[in-house]
Amino acid sequence: MDADKILIMMTSGPDTPRRCATPFFMATLAAAMDYDVTMFFTIDGTLLLKKGMAATVFPKAGGKSVAEFLSEAVEAGVKLTACTASTELHGLAPEDLIDGVKMVGGASFWQMSEEAKTVVSF
Amino acid sequence: MGKIRGCELPEDLFYFAEKHVWANPLEGGIVRVGMTTVAGKLAGGKLNAVTVRAKNIGAEIPAGKSVATVESSKYVGPVPAPVTGVLKRANEKLAADPNLAIRDPYGEGWIAELEATHWEAEKANLLNGPAGLDAYRAKLEAENISCE
Repeated sequence: MDADKILIMMTSGPDTPRRCATPFFMATLAAAMDYDVTMFFTIDGTLLLKKGMAATVFPKAGGKSVAEFLSEAVEAGVKLTACTASTELHGLAPEDLIDGVKMVGGASFWQMSEEAKTVVSF
Repeated sequence: MGKIRGCELPEDLFYFAEKHVWANPLEGGIVRVGMTTVAGKLAGGKLNAVTVRAKNIGAEIPAGKSVATVESSKYVGPVPAPVTGVLKRANEKLAADPNLAIRDPYGEGWIAELEATHWEAEKANLLNGPAGLDAYRAKLEAENISCE
């Protein structure tokens, strides 16, 4: 059974907390269905990968932080990639991001898109 | 029916305790699969959906791979196959009422049926009988899980 690939493009960030739970939930769910899931963070999405940032973002007051959604996704096997140019946009160096994030260029996004069965953008 | 730390766990079932899934061999090589009361507790006691991927019906699912997914506001995750088998059917009642898997996990709330391909060999990997429940109890105690 070869796993179908799913690519999730995440552009939402700390300014829009309510948009920051579902993408991780859907990624975790897809991994639980045995899809091969990669998230590609760009624009403001990349900020969620900054060390310490996700723990401060709460999609719902009193609910789980984005850090919890993120770690559930990683535990389920979701792979994280970040757009190099977007780190420059925010003045971040690759070492400012949490461990386990693969830095990729824009062309990699198109290549991953081509290989994926489904691409979703949030 | 056995009760461990408040969790109902029938002694005659076979448990994949790591993922809180049960298996029950029926006639003709069919193995019925469901989630234990422990899984229901960990999922928060209320489910939004239990889904078997339609594409997988008729496909062989290796032990440990997903036969279904459960979703709640607290949890999202797979229901892994306790043993390898061809996925024969899903419990269609769960589409309309996913919480059957919580209310009656060992009866009407079963999740899927597999035609096991290596039952005799693989059942040894599952917990069963008094010794199996003792091992399950040790796991729940070690992880401080209780249904009370």
